[in-house]
Amino acid sequence: MLRQIFIVSAINFKSLGSRFWQSMVIVVGLAATVGVMLSMLSVSAGMRDAYVKAGDPGRAIVVSKGSDQEGTSVITRAMAPLIIDAPGIAKDKDGKALADRGIQMGIPVLRKDGSKGFTTMRGLADKGPGVRPELHIVQGRMFQPGKRELIVGVGANTLFQHMNVGDKVILPDGQWPIVGIYATGDLLEGQVLGDTETLAAALHRTAYNTVLVRLASPSSLEAFKKALTTNPALSVTVERHSDWYKRVGNQNTFTLALLGYIVGAVMAIGALFGCLNTMYAAVSTRGREIATLRALGYGAFPVALSVIIEAVLLSVTGALIGAAIAWVMNDGAQGVFGNTVFHLSVSPAQIKLGVSWAIVVALLGGLAPSIAAARRPIIDALRAT
Amino acid sequence: MKYLPLVWAAVMRKPVRAILTLLSVMLAFTLFGLTIGMNATFAKLKEEARDDRIFAGARFGGMLPVGMARQIESIHGVAMVAHSNNLFGYIKDPKNRVFLQMNDEKVPQVNPEWPITAEQWKMVRDDRRSVLVSQRQANRYHFKVGDTFTVITPPIQKKTDGSNNWEFKVAAITPDISYMTAGYMFGNYDYFDKGRMLVDQGKTGIFRVKVNDPGRNAEIAEEIDSKFANSATPLQSITEKAAFDVSNTGMDIAAVDREVALAGMFMVLFLTANGIAQAVRERIAEFATLKTIGFSDRGVIGLVFAEAAVPCLLGAAMGVGLAFVLTKLLPSLIPPGDGVPIPVMTPMVLVWATLCAAIVAFASSALPALRLKRMDIATALSGR
Repeated sequence: MLRQIFIVSAINFKSLGSRFWQSMVIVVGLAATVGVMLSMLSVSAGMRDAYVKAGDPGRAIVVSKGSDQEGTSVITRAMAPLIIDAPGIAKDKDGKALADRGIQMGIPVLRKDGSKGFTTMRGLADKGPGVRPELHIVQGRMFQPGKRELIVGVGANTLFQHMNVGDKVILPDGQWPIVGIYATGDLLEGQVLGDTETLAAALHRTAYNTVLVRLASPSSLEAFKKALTTNPALSVTVERHSDWYKRVGNQNTFTLALLGYIVGAVMAIGALFGCLNTMYAAVSTRGREIATLRALGYGAFPVALSVIIEAVLLSVTGALIGAAIAWVMNDGAQGVFGNTVFHLSVSPAQIKLGVSWAIVVALLGGLAPSIAAARRPIIDALRAT
Repeated sequence: MKYLPLVWAAVMRKPVRAILTLLSVMLAFTLFGLTIGMNATFAKLKEEARDDRIFAGARFGGMLPVGMARQIESIHGVAMVAHSNNLFGYIKDPKNRVFLQMNDEKVPQVNPEWPITAEQWKMVRDDRRSVLVSQRQANRYHFKVGDTFTVITPPIQKKTDGSNNWEFKVAAITPDISYMTAGYMFGNYDYFDKGRMLVDQGKTGIFRVKVNDPGRNAEIAEEIDSKFANSATPLQSITEKAAFDVSNTGMDIAAVDREVALAGMFMVLFLTANGIAQAVRERIAEFATLKTIGFSDRGVIGLVFAEAAVPCLLGAAMGVGLAFVLTKLLPSLIPPGDGVPIPVMTPMVLVWATLCAAIVAFASSALPALRLKRMDIATALSGR
């Protein structure tokens, strides 16, 4: 049986040369489908990655109860010390809790293409660098606490005008020099950072937005959460930082990803009809060969299977070509959408997704023709011209 | 016209193939319709944006004192300044995220084109809990005129009494506004302002500026920003035209749309070119017969072109039609409040689709046509 399947498939492939252009319908169809879908998904996936990477399971974020965005959360100055004294927070070598009182706001930027947009400016308090060890300076230096200085992310530096070391950012109480450029590998790279207290004073902020803490260990979240939620002086929500960003990321990229899937689905159905067409034609042009094999004693199943195998191999080839094009064109490119700066991403998981779509298309597109091929009466097929 | 039956017979010679090709072409044009229709929406938004209006919001977030409106009005060339503040929250379940645009009494004059009657605006002014709910939002929450509902806001929009529950009443259900994709709810600014905590009272979210001379719109936007650059609350102004321009998102979505449409066309080109080449190959003797009985080269080529054009044009029409149906379903698929524009099937979309279909038909029948032109009738007839 296996041998039969192998032999029939081999015959099919040897005749592929004479049906080259026709087979290309499947290859091109799937290449276009997967190429377009993965290109579109590279945007939503890249954006989501930027969010997900920003969330560290070793950190917890504290926001005011019910807030699902940092911007709408309010942590008053009275609440902050209560949070910072709670158990479960990691301590630095001086025994101080690694907790960062953060503020955030939008600031206008001029993109390199001349359009106007906003990006996020965050305040990092004294323990900020300890809470975020992934943050490192790649050019210039860190801002000094208490001074009106800013550092910008590498993404902001590449995509926005006037975001180099030495440039000045205009804030309400004057011009703040940019003294350094930092990298984090995540969402923060498109943002601007300064000292929380200095920024709060300049912007007349009387409260913080969030407190971000480094947990003593990932498992100390429960203790920390319990201490805060049972404290009657606090009305806050505590969430593991990775869960927080996963949720925010999904929320902000859901529609974008949905559009990618809709476009991919429409194209895939189109490609499916193309695949059906090609395989029907392939079966009908090989009618006599198939009948000869059947007459020689080959079973119906190997014949049918060989048709499906051919469809799958052509589809997968197309999908891989499409994925390769999407990867070369998009992967790693720096993108900006709204306030979010990120790297477009075509990941192995997405390529796998593209290939599995191709296999589904091939199975659906090959099934009916393969049954037709197997069930055709041998005598008729042999007589047909 | 008299050749139509001939073309039809040729197309339907292999019905399965013809139908599969048609469906494939149709789907590619569905995509074409959606993407190019999306671009048509972007173009329409930008075109419909008024060139005598400016949005002025807080440059660094936070809220703005209402009194700034007077100062903006004093700028030469400014006709009127309205303002509004959004109330964010959810209805019953956090999944039902909503925002209500709480307007001051001048908003109706700055936005006279909104499909809201003077009487409806008056309802909101007279009963301060009243809101105007757009048809789309009313459908989503099954609102009827007279219904009351509660919006639960995050702590930053707490009420004076410490609660987060804001009560509203549906005063009227009004037609949707094209650029507010998710629909809208318009409420009374005073109700919001008097209801919230004392420290926040007298503040607002955004100023809606109307200017006298559209030619000076951009200039006045700059002027507003520079006037408040050194104040406690600097402004960031943007003209309505710029605000409604899709390039504002930072990504050239229109170009992405065109590329997607192009990929679909490429797929279709391959498909039809193959189909027609195969059809001609199979019926070469018949074409030779046609030539023998006196059909000119041009006539035969015309027939081949027509045979290719039928699925292309028909598929294009069906595809754009399907896209049109999908655009009617799209708003229910996309989460409300995301503000994704819905594609529109303008006549231009149909013109482009027809043009592309014709190009595909022409390109795919070119090689087979050449083959027919050069063929030797005797050889072809003998079937060798």
